[in-house]
Amino acid sequence: MIEVKQLVKKYGEMTAVKGISFSAAQGVNGFLGPNGAGKTTTMRVLTGYTPPTSGTATVAGFDVFEQSYEVRRHVGYLPENVPLYRDLTALEYLAYLAEIRGLPKRREQSLAALERVGLAQRAHSRIRTLSKGMRQRVGLAAAILHKPSVLILDEPTIGLDPLQVLELRKLIVELGKECTVLFSTHILSEAEQVCDRLIIINQGEIVSEGTPSELRRQLERGGRILVRSQAASDALAAALRDVEGVALIQPYDDGVIVTPQPAAPDLRPAIAARLVSAALPLVELRPLAVNLEDIFIELVRTQNVTPTMIEEEVSA
Amino acid sequence: MRAFWAVYKRETAQFFRSNIAYAIAFGMLLFLGLLFASNVYGGVQANLSGFVSQPITADQVALSTLGVLTFLMFIIAPLLTMRLLAEENREGTLEVLMTLPMSDAAFVLGKYFAAWTFYTVLLLLTVVFVLLLSTIGAPDPGLTITAYVGAWLYGGATLALSLIWSAVTEDQIVAAFLGAATVIMMFLAGDLAQILATREGLTGASEFIRTLSLPAHYQDTMLVGVLRGEDIAYFVLLTIFALFLTTLIVGSRRWRAT
Repeated sequence: MIEVKQLVKKYGEMTAVKGISFSAAQGVNGFLGPNGAGKTTTMRVLTGYTPPTSGTATVAGFDVFEQSYEVRRHVGYLPENVPLYRDLTALEYLAYLAEIRGLPKRREQSLAALERVGLAQRAHSRIRTLSKGMRQRVGLAAAILHKPSVLILDEPTIGLDPLQVLELRKLIVELGKECTVLFSTHILSEAEQVCDRLIIINQGEIVSEGTPSELRRQLERGGRILVRSQAASDALAAALRDVEGVALIQPYDDGVIVTPQPAAPDLRPAIAARLVSAALPLVELRPLAVNLEDIFIELVRTQNVTPTMIEEEVSA
Repeated sequence: MRAFWAVYKRETAQFFRSNIAYAIAFGMLLFLGLLFASNVYGGVQANLSGFVSQPITADQVALSTLGVLTFLMFIIAPLLTMRLLAEENREGTLEVLMTLPMSDAAFVLGKYFAAWTFYTVLLLLTVVFVLLLSTIGAPDPGLTITAYVGAWLYGGATLALSLIWSAVTEDQIVAAFLGAATVIMMFLAGDLAQILATREGLTGASEFIRTLSLPAHYQDTMLVGVLRGEDIAYFVLLTIFALFLTTLIVGSRRWRAT
């Protein structure tokens, strides 16, 4: 269970996280955003590595600042670059962490964790001799070693080959049945497959959150619309120009892309009605975003596009 | 406590596996060995010639070994401690450790005592010189033991001082240089005090600086067989102060500006 309220994190003059609030319950929670969006910073706050500048965050019922030690007991964390001691074997490394954590039966627990990530047969290999994918799994084993109630994984699938990515995703889904998993990624198809809930973050602010299907519905209201007709694009653009709520019309292939103004209602009925009244033969009318990848781009784009920018685009 | 032991055991094992630790041990023993040989040879020659009224004694040879060793701590201590915290910081493993349920003190102390353990082994290796001397002479046991206890504490304090810089920077070389500068300044403060003592009106300042300096509590006292509680207290307090500072620096990443 993770509860974040008005969390702000500043590094000097730079504000990395600008007052975000969200909560995450048991299951797989995807933390999505482009690079530099504030994902890692937020995760570092949640693991007690760095304190928030203001706002609060509770993890497993403990405040990350006031009860950092308790938080650290209940959280498993896999940092983005998977730091490991390369001179140790996988088993030695886990046993070392288990000893610091004061776990009973360190060897058995460590082996069980390696078993879980499918690395038991390499338990006695030095970490420096392991492949990138295997190291990632050692890091994950270290994060789940103490059976944490909250598991925080920072871009765990980055740099893995497709087969390893599939295996890791399967494991994340399994782990989501036991604990609260918050995992960050900028690969949207991944989030769509794995996550029960998504939190989309950009430039330190939460852009949207919900289940993958909720997000898709939400976007079908405000996103760009592809209109194709048997008529020429020019005629199409001319007909649609003064439909209420249209911000921008761009030619696209044999049709046009209509960009609604921010907070405009679903334009599709209005567009359909206009085309019918203008006697232009309609071939296709659909949201441009068809998968999460596009939804993400749309969300990030609509957040960044201000009315003045749209005007500039129109005049250009 | 369990976290301290875990860190201590791992770091100690690291020392005995690391090339640089053996290189330091080799360099130190080679240098001290040559020095020892020339001291003994010189002493023997002087005694044979009969011109020297007071021949060099076995004690003096042992003490010159420890004198040089403690002087060299400005190089040895930073080389032993530079890696301890800076490497964890650079490699990112610090991020893992800092998100484990472990106190900052347990982490710092585990690292520190591992370095001190390695130093203790280095120091014990020099006992071979005392054993060699006892075959050709009779070193004063009281004086020798006092000098060794002092060298042990002296090493502990200089290791703690250099460890501070390993927490400050993630660059090992920078940590080593700053550590060396700190220790050598604490050493040379004794000479500065002597210079100031000759100036009028500065005797108070001179005495103050001398009291803070390393030689005033070892080279001038324990190394020549004077065992005083205040010297032991000086090294213990200096060590505690430096470790406390290091712990604060490591923990400061969890501080919140208000």
